[in-house]
Amino acid sequence: MDFAKAFEELEAITRWFEQEGADLDEGLKRFERGLELARACKERLAEVEANVKEIKKKFEA
Amino acid sequence: MSVPAVISVAQYLDLVNDRLREVPSDVGVEGEVSDLRVSHGKWVGFDLKDAQGGGVLKCFMTVWQLSVPLEDGMRVRVTGGAKVSARFGKFQLDVRTVELVGEGALKRAYLALKRKMQDEGLFDGARKRPIPRFPERIGLITSREAAAYGDFLRVLGNRWGGVEVDFVPVHVQGGNAVPEILAAFEHFHHLGESERPDVLVLTRGGGGLEDLHAFNDESVARAVFSSRVPVVVGVGHERDESLCDFVADVRASTPSNAAERVAPSRDEVRYELDAMTRRVEEVLRANLDARRRIVEHAASSASALVSRQRERLTSELDAFGTATDRWIPNISERIEGALRVLRQVDPNRVLARGYSIVKSGKTLLRDASELVVGTDVSVQLSRGTFDANVLRINGTGKQRLV
Repeated sequence: MDFAKAFEELEAITRWFEQEGADLDEGLKRFERGLELARACKERLAEVEANVKEIKKKFEA
Repeated sequence: MSVPAVISVAQYLDLVNDRLREVPSDVGVEGEVSDLRVSHGKWVGFDLKDAQGGGVLKCFMTVWQLSVPLEDGMRVRVTGGAKVSARFGKFQLDVRTVELVGEGALKRAYLALKRKMQDEGLFDGARKRPIPRFPERIGLITSREAAAYGDFLRVLGNRWGGVEVDFVPVHVQGGNAVPEILAAFEHFHHLGESERPDVLVLTRGGGGLEDLHAFNDESVARAVFSSRVPVVVGVGHERDESLCDFVADVRASTPSNAAERVAPSRDEVRYELDAMTRRVEEVLRANLDARRRIVEHAASSASALVSRQRERLTSELDAFGTATDRWIPNISERIEGALRVLRQVDPNRVLARGYSIVKSGKTLLRDASELVVGTDVSVQLSRGTFDANVLRINGTGKQRLV
């Protein structure tokens, strides 16, 4: 998953709540989506390793 | 050429200078500048001292020949013509060229290049590109052997996981450094968008000006500047600086710091995620509470209405009860009263008191004048009945038979 996109969407949802979160139907929908996103992001946080790939170059002296 | 046996001083000095002209004037003489003086704003003189052995060469030139700023203590390399000055009788070098060597020279060249690039706008803050907050792919340019490599990856792992690192190993000093680093940038520059990293990291450990030469190389600095991908440069220690540092989109102080700048901290991000969900919950809950209050208010209004109805009903029933409590006895009284009256007017009672009911035919008689003498009337007593004949009415009528 694209962490950056998920995180941005969650930020947008939080902003929406702070500015307009009055509509209950809309609010509940977005709340659920927000929880989904937060959960996915947290899962990604649990990943520990970086995947290091060495680029072999022809020009390496 | 034949030399006469006796000559003047001037002639002798000319002879000497002729010989001196055979000394190659393009040989570079290295030494340390000392006792530098400038007189009348145009004549420059200094002693060029031999660092090892001793030996002093007096040098002379004009200010206009000076392309580099000279200072006592600088190591320089000079070329020029050896001669003995006729006027002062001293051996000197008429300097033709002078250049800085060693630390001084490198420093000077570095400062000049730095100024040139700055004037060109290559260091401008405005052109520096932001690096993504959550990189998916990082391009790493550094030496496999350097501690920088290990430091960078370790700090990266501590902070963030699941990143792709494309590592291009290069020499970070020595003759191969510049071409290898340039080749690394070329590699990343020509990748397609899907393979291109989100950020490049150029890093190495600390070192002297000579060690860092590749990072002060103009072509390397320009490669950093024109990189399609934003570049984080982290060279050596806090106090080290290089041209690549100034040109970088983000300047890190060390390889470890480069990892800190490039990757977010898991803990901080987790905290932010929690804060956001909490915030959203707060707003939602506040919303729900507000609605609930409205509903409760409505419900309580409704129940208030119902209780009011109930109360009214209750009080009416009470009133009813009280009222009925009153008029039932009332009625009983009236019935009693009525019964009493009735009992009074009960004909049987009346008859029992000795009255009788007199009828003529079926008509009940009240008025004696309605009677006719000689007719029959029926009389009802309390017990029994009899018929009687009317003899006299109100004293008149048939005579009484005595």
